[in-house]
Amino acid sequence: MIKELIFYTFSSVLICSSLAVILFRNPVYSAVSLILSFITSGFLWLLLQAEFLAIVLILVYVGAVMVLFLFVIMMLNINNERDKSSFNSLAPFALFIGLIIAAELITLIWINSSQFNINSLSIQEPDQVSNTLALGKELFTNYILSFEIAGFILLLAIIISISLTLRTRKNVKTQIASEQINVDPSTRIKLVDLKERD
Amino acid sequence: MLTLQSYLSLAAIIFAIGIIGIVINRKNIIIVMMCTELLLISVNFNFIAFSYFNQDIAGQIFVFFILTVAAAEAAIGLAILVALYRNKKSIDVQELRTLRN
Repeated sequence: MIKELIFYTFSSVLICSSLAVILFRNPVYSAVSLILSFITSGFLWLLLQAEFLAIVLILVYVGAVMVLFLFVIMMLNINNERDKSSFNSLAPFALFIGLIIAAELITLIWINSSQFNINSLSIQEPDQVSNTLALGKELFTNYILSFEIAGFILLLAIIISISLTLRTRKNVKTQIASEQINVDPSTRIKLVDLKERD
Repeated sequence: MLTLQSYLSLAAIIFAIGIIGIVINRKNIIIVMMCTELLLISVNFNFIAFSYFNQDIAGQIFVFFILTVAAAEAAIGLAILVALYRNKKSIDVQELRTLRN
């Protein structure tokens, strides 16, 4: 009973905050609503015994990705008056399409519910092995190649975002390391014999 | 009684909200990227719900990889956005028509 109460409360909060993401005019408000949706999703994932992923969602998304979003929003300073217009002309069409998508998906889910072939009776309460331990065991044995590819994707993301945002200015005085290393001493020092001059 | 269907229905509603948000957006690309995050969250909901109701941890592994790729996508997208703003002084969806014609 308590799980149903938690589920319906948090899912209504999640739906309202997701609507707020797309309805707010100010992108900062949208970002903060998205943070609320992520945290609510994390709580809902806790109900499904995915504790590690819930914590990762809150730490990585709220702590890193959304802070990056807020940083870019405030750095670009795009909240000018011209953007205060209403929805574009596609709004009724988009609403229509979105409602059809939701109706179709939900109808499909509830019609085919007998064919999902799940055994709800086999769900145990949390057993001895913790979720993090089970996930780690699976991740580092059967999915080790995928794990390394994921690390490589993150490395690529670092390189790409640095190379996209790096800019070299023309009229700035910087050291040119290759020229400094390849200096020939004979061109820099001129030895003068003082005694011979006397 | 919480069933798999209730979680899947919630995910479907979030997915539809994300799609509506992408289409009705009229200001800037940042909102479009946030709607993409909403779509990814709804997909992750499906994976975790199936993982719980089938008692199979593989669904959670997939969510882990989706989170990784989504973080990379957000970083690269924001970098593209900064480069775009630096060149055009605007990230308005309506004004980005360089490739038209």
